[in-house]
Amino acid sequence: MQHVANLARREEARQEQVAIEVANLSHVYAGAQGAVPALEDISMRVGAGRFVVIVGPSGCGKTSLLMMLAGLRSQGQGTILCHGRPIPDPDPQRVGVIFQEASLYPWLTALDNIEFPLSLRGARDRETREERRERAEAMLKLVGLEGFGERYPHELSGGMKQRVSIARGLVQDPPVLLMDEPFAALDEQTRMTMGHELLRIWSTTSKTVVFITHSLTEAVYLADEVLVMSARPGRIIDRIPVALPRPRSYEMMATDVFGQLRERIWQQIRKTP
Amino acid sequence: MRRSLTLPAPATVRRGMLVAVLLLWELVPRTGLLPELFLPALSSTLAVLYEDWRIYSAALLVTLYEVALAMVIACGGGIVAGAVVGGIARLRDLLLPVFSSLYAVPIVILYPVFTAWFGVGPESKIAFAGIYAFFPVMLSTAAGIRTIDPQFIVAARSMGATLTQQVTRVIIPASLPTVFAGLRLGGALAIIGVVVSEMLTAAAGIGYLVTLNRTILDSPRVFAALLMILILSVAYYMLARAIERRMVVWQSAGRSPKAARPENAVVVPA
Repeated sequence: MQHVANLARREEARQEQVAIEVANLSHVYAGAQGAVPALEDISMRVGAGRFVVIVGPSGCGKTSLLMMLAGLRSQGQGTILCHGRPIPDPDPQRVGVIFQEASLYPWLTALDNIEFPLSLRGARDRETREERRERAEAMLKLVGLEGFGERYPHELSGGMKQRVSIARGLVQDPPVLLMDEPFAALDEQTRMTMGHELLRIWSTTSKTVVFITHSLTEAVYLADEVLVMSARPGRIIDRIPVALPRPRSYEMMATDVFGQLRERIWQQIRKTP
Repeated sequence: MRRSLTLPAPATVRRGMLVAVLLLWELVPRTGLLPELFLPALSSTLAVLYEDWRIYSAALLVTLYEVALAMVIACGGGIVAGAVVGGIARLRDLLLPVFSSLYAVPIVILYPVFTAWFGVGPESKIAFAGIYAFFPVMLSTAAGIRTIDPQFIVAARSMGATLTQQVTRVIIPASLPTVFAGLRLGGALAIIGVVVSEMLTAAAGIGYLVTLNRTILDSPRVFAALLMILILSVAYYMLARAIERRMVVWQSAGRSPKAARPENAVVVPA
């Protein structure tokens, strides 16, 4: 018995290190023209506090995978564990999601948008209105938008909207943050700045991040590890550790190591039709 | 100041145009360019309104009552039906073509039938105007509901919103602009429907006054009624716009966020 208890404890300890564990995940869509295989035998393990970037051609199922990790879409075969437990439904306490279009609610101010997930808990939560407000304001400050809380989304720039969106994803303090091409709609300069900002926020909050992008530069710049997916049906065809030191700086982009990593990802992606 | 003389603001131009129309309305008949039978002067029209204010205000009350009830049918029914038909894909595919083709039917042909069913009293006007305004409101609501970004709902789910919260906190506020557009359209059409049906067969209301006085060639009294309908329609439109601006703050860019708290839009979904 003692032995079993020890094993269980050791198992717990091991799982604490792993934030996301996906094993043999496959998914087939029932499309209009018959079944479409979307994901094929995906296995991945993301350690707690790691920054993992997924790249791959359009339509390879990256977003589907992310939606499944978030509990927003039911999976076919295989298992998904988030901190050791399955995630059949969205659970904002465990996983926060940040979408491509900032998807802020235009009828709410920036601050109310950030507070929105907290306000949903409403009666279920003992937190008072003032405490919620304070938390939302702290998040606004964290993303560098102090003083912009009363603005409506249409009064903010694209980059500012994504900052609000990130603050909204962080406000419930989930250990895992999933980001689906969050900077894709931004211009190149804003995109680089936002990437840098994200790393700063990440380093102060120690979240586990799974980040989807099309940009190879962004992938190398942000990631601890880059996962390359093939065209449909999506499979993971390469796992590339990024050994660049942190904190990352823009100057690193000019280094040989950066170029080689970028080239390796590109070679993998272009192999797929 | 000098600049505003060379390039006056649109609002100033609009006010100027209104003054010009009123002036012409007075001057054209007075100078004999048009006989008073075709166009009675503004002053004679206003004089009639003053003399017969009891008759006109009683008629206005009847018309308002009919318009209000027709609006309940058209806006209430139209917005709810439009939301259901537009929001549920299967119903949309099934019913939208039917409603769209019905919209093309000149519904005024139904009015004689309605008088047979409901009599010549207010009921037939309410029924006719209600149906007349119902279809456009329903169709515009159905179209508007579909423009709600599905990402709004995915985001809400990811933040842990229950189904009820998705409706009350996301779908209802997101559809407010559509609902208000429907209200504006429905109200305007209900006024038209009521006045037209009063002109066809009635014993009361502003439209009835138009027909009655036209048959006895009493032009000032006809124009007095027209003026009241005009004022009624414009007043309704301006009221609807004012409410809309207060409720849908985020659509009127550049306004002070302090003017109306966004919670208003969520808590009072019209």
